[in-house]
Amino acid sequence: MPYGALEEIIVLDLSDRLAASFCAKTLGLYGCEVVKVEPLSGDPLRKWTNSNPGNQSGDSPLFLHLNAGKKSITINLDDPKGQSILAALMKVCDVVVETQKPGHLDKIGLAYNQIKKSNPSVIFTSITPYGQTGPYKNFHYDELTLFAMTGAMYREGLPDREPLRYSGEIAQYFAGNAAAAATTAALFKRTLTGHGDWLDISIQECMAGHPHQIGRRSPFIYAGEPDPRSQPRTSASGAREPYAVGTFRCKDGYFSFLPLGPRMWPNIAKMINREDLMADPKYNDTIKRSENRENLEAIFQAWVDDKTREEIFQAVQAAGVPGSPILQPEEVHKNEQFQARGFFQNVDHPNGQTLRMTGDPFRFSNAPTSSIKAAPKLSQNTNEVLRKLLELSDDQIEILAMENII
Amino acid sequence: MNSEVSQPLSSIRALELSEIWAGPFCGCLLGDMGAEVIKIESIQRIGRGPINPPANAGGYPNADPGKEPWNRQSNFNAINRNKKSLTLDLKTRQGLNSFKDLVSQSDVVFCNYSRTVMENFGLSYEQVRKIKPDIIYMLMPGYGNDGPYANYRSMGMAIDAITGHSFLRGYPDRDHSSNSLVHHPDAVAAINGVMALASALVYRAKTGKGQFIDLSQAESFMTHLGEIYLENQMTSSIRTRRGNRHPDFAPQGVYKCSGDDNWIAISIKTDEEWSELKTIIADDTLEDTDLDSVETRLQNHDHLDNVINEWTSTLDRYDALALLQAANISSGVVIDCGADSYADPHLNERDFFQIVDHPAAGLYPMSGPIFKFESDQGRITHNPAPCLGQDNEHILEELLGYSRDTINKFETEEIVGTVPLPGSDMGGSRRVAKQRE
Repeated sequence: MPYGALEEIIVLDLSDRLAASFCAKTLGLYGCEVVKVEPLSGDPLRKWTNSNPGNQSGDSPLFLHLNAGKKSITINLDDPKGQSILAALMKVCDVVVETQKPGHLDKIGLAYNQIKKSNPSVIFTSITPYGQTGPYKNFHYDELTLFAMTGAMYREGLPDREPLRYSGEIAQYFAGNAAAAATTAALFKRTLTGHGDWLDISIQECMAGHPHQIGRRSPFIYAGEPDPRSQPRTSASGAREPYAVGTFRCKDGYFSFLPLGPRMWPNIAKMINREDLMADPKYNDTIKRSENRENLEAIFQAWVDDKTREEIFQAVQAAGVPGSPILQPEEVHKNEQFQARGFFQNVDHPNGQTLRMTGDPFRFSNAPTSSIKAAPKLSQNTNEVLRKLLELSDDQIEILAMENII
Repeated sequence: MNSEVSQPLSSIRALELSEIWAGPFCGCLLGDMGAEVIKIESIQRIGRGPINPPANAGGYPNADPGKEPWNRQSNFNAINRNKKSLTLDLKTRQGLNSFKDLVSQSDVVFCNYSRTVMENFGLSYEQVRKIKPDIIYMLMPGYGNDGPYANYRSMGMAIDAITGHSFLRGYPDRDHSSNSLVHHPDAVAAINGVMALASALVYRAKTGKGQFIDLSQAESFMTHLGEIYLENQMTSSIRTRRGNRHPDFAPQGVYKCSGDDNWIAISIKTDEEWSELKTIIADDTLEDTDLDSVETRLQNHDHLDNVINEWTSTLDRYDALALLQAANISSGVVIDCGADSYADPHLNERDFFQIVDHPAAGLYPMSGPIFKFESDQGRITHNPAPCLGQDNEHILEELLGYSRDTINKFETEEIVGTVPLPGSDMGGSRRVAKQRE
């Protein structure tokens, strides 16, 4: 019987924003049983407009992705009875993932310091845009405005233009994934000590403490220099074969290259069938290649121009030059590597659609993970979860439903 | 480490064979959570920048590489905090045996080199588990350990391209050739590495069994783009480049404030936020009631951007932020990674920066940690990145019980050392071997 690495761990997912929801989903990929607690009206992300008007299933693509494999229960948390049901669930679960405004759970008696009295081994993971403390803790945010405040945006884009965000919801995903890792480390310590913990994860700090941003702080510390937006054919550390750095148009799309310094010049010259250039005094050292960058870029572009992404991909692998084709999203799940690994899985959805969904980014030799399941319908598992975890009878459950508590 | 408070991974010893970002940042986070992380390096091949960089080279304290540039390289020092360094020439029998001795006392081995590097040393999972049956062993190549790309080289920017993220970012009015290169997927692989290792530790605590973990950097990042792949299948509309805008909300953007290269990001998602913004800006052209519908705002986005830019251009960015937040509008100042970050009152109140004193590079305000555990009781220990081979003697003598004579012999035979050999920054030990011949 396959046994997920984190099997038998019960996660209570109170999220209504992306980062916390992805944290719970990630724990689920490793085998946790994730119970999503929704208000009677449902998680607002079900209707998140990252979805499209043409979507017939009702739930947004974002919701379907974030909640694949979770169970859904509904509880009316405006009602004291609903709050006491949640308190009872918090008492029996292993992990709580929440994203309320700092201080909100204290008001209804469901904060870590209150819950740990009845469940001292609970791991309580709070994920908020700016953390539980500090002057920005109640700031209004979304991906765009939060990304700006991490240091990541300032460097993105062209020098004479406005700074740019990444695409997708990158900062929130990153923080949710980091929170899942820290939660699991706390679960490991719990196996040794029996003690729970409270994690205060700030999305801003996750991105501000990310290698991209850490690396950009030293020019300021050591030389008082900011690290401004630059033209694409340059790199932060100065000339590294700049004529071949960045993204180039090719026959069927675009291809990105990043040669790692002057020692790659022979590899590049050979790759573009211009080994003759190595003897040319215009190009025979790094400084000259930088000075004559535009000529060399034209030569390089000419080589790229009449090749497909696949032809260039083969060439860079043979030459040992880091580079990769830019795929369009609809090409990704048809890519031969991801197909060969079985990364995307076909998942049947209640509306009859079969969707190709991202699976596990890891393979464990001893702990295979189960296949990806569709996201739950609203309240799909309320009865089952309350019977199993709180040992409520069918009659008790029916009464709660009639009272609009669940 | 060195903390009186027991941290989540204080009981764990991990061996790191990694360079650049994905592996080293994974080790950095393990160290932040208390693990004893031993970085296995060698004087035959170093991943700490050039041995003889030009004087005035960037990336060193005071633009001075000094006598030991490998111990002063800022990128290396920034993401290798809270680790020890042991150099071993794994191409020699003694070096390899020392590594195996160390494995027998360790919990975790992880490597972000190309897939075959460990195998070629005779250190595949099958070989390593013979020494320590419950070892947790992780390889994290770009595309995973099997499939047609298993042996492909990759970097963060390559993963960004092949997953579709590069296709979607950039200015909508420019083509992709003006895109920057983004290495974010390296960091994503690092946190996924921590996640995989921590869950394997939980599993080992429960079952006594170790694990081979095959982690794909590309697949790690693709879990962060899942809704985009679904959108494609659920509707006929294809997502295009948006810049800072959103297809369903307006206005959204990054606007110029007073001063040099100062900006504020503003995101209006609801009619309430729009109404508040109108009130703050107080521009006659915004009073048009047609603009109360998001469809009209989307159609007139360029005009709205002009009006907002005119308003912000005379304002200090932090004053604008205060006004917008007071009106419950999502907004954020674009901070740089230098002066703005270090002056940020919020990051400072949360003790985000820690001063470390590096023996070769001096004082440095280190960033992070990104995790706050209540059980740490507010204590954060950032030890500076190790100098090359800094812990050789301690590990060989104290941990492995080697005699002084043996260690001297290792030093003489260049199995261990603290000074990189000539050529060791230029593609590795084969070149060094050639020079020896």
